Amino acid sequence: MAPPQDSSQPRLAAGCRWGGSEISRVVLYPEGALKLQGTGQQVLERCDGQRTFGEIIAELQNEFGTTDPVKIRDDISKFLEQLQHKRIIDY
Amino acid sequence: MVPNPLALIAEVTHRCPLHCVYCSNPLQLASATSELSTEEWVSIFQQASKLGMLHAHFTGGEPLARQDLTELIASARAAGLYTNLITSGIGLVEPRLQALVAAGLDHIQVSFQDSREGPANWIAGAKAHTHKIELSHAIRRHKVAFTVNLVVHRQNLDHLDEMIAFIEQLNPERVEIAHAQYYGWALKNRAALMPTRAQLERAVEVVTAAEKRLAGRIRIDSVVPDYYAKYPKACMGGWGRRLMLINPAGKVLPCHAAEVIPGLEFENVREKTLAWIWWESASFRRFRGEDWMPEPCRSCDRRAEDFGGCRCQALLLTGDAGATDPACSLAPKHHLVEAAALAANEDLVIAEPAGAPSFVQLQRETAELWQYRTNPE
Repeated sequence: MAPPQDSSQPRLAAGCRWGGSEISRVVLYPEGALKLQGTGQQVLERCDGQRTFGEIIAELQNEFGTTDPVKIRDDISKFLEQLQHKRIIDY
Repeated sequence: MVPNPLALIAEVTHRCPLHCVYCSNPLQLASATSELSTEEWVSIFQQASKLGMLHAHFTGGEPLARQDLTELIASARAAGLYTNLITSGIGLVEPRLQALVAAGLDHIQVSFQDSREGPANWIAGAKAHTHKIELSHAIRRHKVAFTVNLVVHRQNLDHLDEMIAFIEQLNPERVEIAHAQYYGWALKNRAALMPTRAQLERAVEVVTAAEKRLAGRIRIDSVVPDYYAKYPKACMGGWGRRLMLINPAGKVLPCHAAEVIPGLEFENVREKTLAWIWWESASFRRFRGEDWMPEPCRSCDRRAEDFGGCRCQALLLTGDAGATDPACSLAPKHHLVEAAALAANEDLVIAEPAGAPSFVQLQRETAELWQYRTNPE
């Protein structure tokens, strides 16, 4: 499966949803739970099936103003690809 | 540091319409009249959530045999738990599936015994295969995660690639290639279930190829059976570290087989709270930490990784629940597992006759091969 395109709309896959507590949010999926921190959480919270990959990148590039925008894009793309492989995200 | 438990295994009944020869339920099954009530389970889910658990796994026997299953799933979901249903699918038609999904079922895992109808029914001891296929189609019409659990062993490993191709057609998100584990009925039937080394090596190749082919579409989870591995499995993620199992009568266990261990008093959720049982009970504390470990585990680099393997397997094979799991190549009693492996590899006869044998024909020709799981009184 290819990496996400600018127009892709990432979303949690069927049967995957948010859980855990306010302070310790996790994504629950069959037989497991993904503990999230910082950037990971910020990315996944934006994977609502509405925002495009391009929009998510732009929002986060704004947040992390000083970091190389190309690196941000690469890292997030890899992150989403890994989750797609595990069938936690669709795009 | 004892962590909070992550998962509750809700073994809601031991009743089951099938008689699978690889079943890992205890040989002593809980009677139907001893089962916990709906209200008792509701209280359990609330306690489980407060203890920090994230997942509830509904299993059995066959959980669909519980008339109140929809209510149980709804209350587990209301308590904040992610709900997994582990089922044969027998007893599930579309209206009931719809009700379960509407009640908040997150994930359903349906077992398959083979790709071929005759052998599948022969292994399950019932005509179940066609219904499972129909159910799989129905599941895809609903918003719920779907896993196919394919149970593999000596009698079907030779056509693993055919079985995986068959499962692909059902389009689950996930496939578990579940090598039969030798507890309960599966231990009784071990000689008929244990694969040869050659079968296992071939299986690893087939699974690796399938993983590549299905990457991004279907996720495959598969574990090499511990009898052929160098080191033991980290059973349940360690004794009393990850999960609690509650049996149909309310007995709280660290795993489904633990009752085989003599000298351990298991608590009942009707008498004590889940929290007390997790943190304070002697049974849950029994094999936590490292003080109980014998050598070589006590000074082994892997002890925090596999915890010395499975306590129940140590008991079943060596008579001592505190011994190093004989599946470990470093275990003093490793020869017990080696002997079983040797026997499995000497005898290369596979029971299933060629052609397209019917369920009835297979049963007739293999009456001495194994014992079918019986139902509780």
